[in-house]
Amino acid sequence: MDRWFLIVSTVLALIGGGWGMWSVSRGTRSRWTVVWMVAVFICQLGFLSIRGDLRGACPLRDTGEILVFLAWSLTLFYLLVGPAYRISLLGVFTAPVVVIFQASALLFGLLSANPERVLETSGWGEAHAATSVLAYGALALAAVAGVMFLVLDRQLKEHHLKSGLFRTLPPVRELLVSMERLLRLGMVLLTAGIIAGFFMPRGESLAHLIAALVVWSAYVVLLVLKSTRGLTGRRLSLLTVLLFVISLAVFAFI
Amino acid sequence: MEFLCLGLNHRTAPVEIRERFAVAAGKLGEASRELAELDGVSEGLVLSTCNRTEFYLAAPDSDAAFDSLETMLTQHVGAEHEAKAHFYKVGKMEAARHLCRVVSGLDSMVLGETEIFGQVKDAYAAAHAAGVTGPILNRLFQRAFSVGKKVRTDTSIQVGATSIAGAAVELAEKIFGKLAGCRVIVIGAGEMSRQTAQALVSRGASSVFVTNRSFERAEELAAEMGGRAVRFDEWQAVLAGVDVVISSTSAPHPVVLPHHVEAVRRVRKYRPLFFIDIAVPRDIDPAVGEIEEVYLYDIDTLEQLAEEARARRQQQILECEQIINAELAKARLPGTEHE
Repeated sequence: MDRWFLIVSTVLALIGGGWGMWSVSRGTRSRWTVVWMVAVFICQLGFLSIRGDLRGACPLRDTGEILVFLAWSLTLFYLLVGPAYRISLLGVFTAPVVVIFQASALLFGLLSANPERVLETSGWGEAHAATSVLAYGALALAAVAGVMFLVLDRQLKEHHLKSGLFRTLPPVRELLVSMERLLRLGMVLLTAGIIAGFFMPRGESLAHLIAALVVWSAYVVLLVLKSTRGLTGRRLSLLTVLLFVISLAVFAFI
Repeated sequence: MEFLCLGLNHRTAPVEIRERFAVAAGKLGEASRELAELDGVSEGLVLSTCNRTEFYLAAPDSDAAFDSLETMLTQHVGAEHEAKAHFYKVGKMEAARHLCRVVSGLDSMVLGETEIFGQVKDAYAAAHAAGVTGPILNRLFQRAFSVGKKVRTDTSIQVGATSIAGAAVELAEKIFGKLAGCRVIVIGAGEMSRQTAQALVSRGASSVFVTNRSFERAEELAAEMGGRAVRFDEWQAVLAGVDVVISSTSAPHPVVLPHHVEAVRRVRKYRPLFFIDIAVPRDIDPAVGEIEEVYLYDIDTLEQLAEEARARRQQQILECEQIINAELAKARLPGTEHE
């Protein structure tokens, strides 16, 4: 049953993203993106709650679950940020990332078929995992906004103003403001996750903690640079996308 | 009962004729009442804008109603034979189609412009308040408003700015979103820069600085726009605090050079900066556009954008007409039968 929720959610994200892109290519704003993403979110909740029941703990025990939790967190932040700032196109850019995360969990055997029940749980451990993945959801959405900025910036710079995508992309300043707010939110959650990580029972390897601290420091440097010295929109976007991809790759191997 | 329209517009009459028939906005209700009180007229509405004056009426006999109206116009404005030649008369379904075209902006000087929709609504409200609209005009105008909305929603007739100033404002909104709080500097107090700055102010830009070689001219334009004049050798100091630069001097060489922008980048914290160069020869060195946070547009690019929008609107006319015909056919409106 859990897999079915995930399959339906992935298909809905695929259709929602495809529908949105088709609307954008015609130069119209996709009014249904939010509705599709709400449906995706509900199915993700279905998947996560069944897995949580089976595990008897927060469903973050295998790579597949982490990817789905990340996709859920990304969708959650889109639903919080997108409609509030009337950035419907953010959903069109978010949907493919959700599809990639969830399809990877489904297709590459990353999702345990028979999830084992967790016998011993630690409150700090659960808090660490949940807040960290939530943080990555916010940081992922910041990266999505960064990609949107880079596309718009290029079109404005090169005077390519005819495409439907150009007409439907939100203004430069809105994208930059959303990106910075998402980075700040991600940082608050990541900090909470790292603090919880210090209190949770750890094995002998410190690699995970060191990696988390390095990623956290990199984001701190980025935010401090932005608020003190200032950064061009292009550099902020490139660094936001780059940091997210690198941090995801680091945790995939640790 | 028939629905009728008699009027003149920018295509049929020059401004010296149109101005004689213009009715002030505050007097539209009174003029509509006068129209409805004519012999053989049961309902009346007067629409008057800078490009048109039109008399809409419901009457049992079109010939008698048009005669009464023309007699009234001759008495009021001295509309001798020459002036009458500029009028058009349409009735029944043709009049309803004309009204829908007017409301949709298809009959406007700037194709697809939206201001006319509000102007017709105001004229209708004035006539309605004067108690001279009845079952025919009420249904026809309500229908025309819904058709006008459908035309604008279902087609791209109002998409894209059709003037240089409009294109500049659209780009500014693509960069800054709402222009409230945006600060603008105008370098060179020419007519084009005045129009562009005013278009930005009308959309919310809050502070305008004006600089010009002649400080008096800068002061005049600044006063006109509620802005502040800046001496020509001091404009670089203002650059750090503005979001939009409009330049249109008659200088034979570039006025804004890359080092001017480089000097203020740190202070500006690398915020986006929009340059509009409407001077020929160009005022802004093209190398300025290579700075990361700068978006530079010259007059040719803006004119090309406006031209493309005009062409796109032209292509939409047929689609708009089809919507109007279909909607009118569906509605079976009183006063338009038996075309």
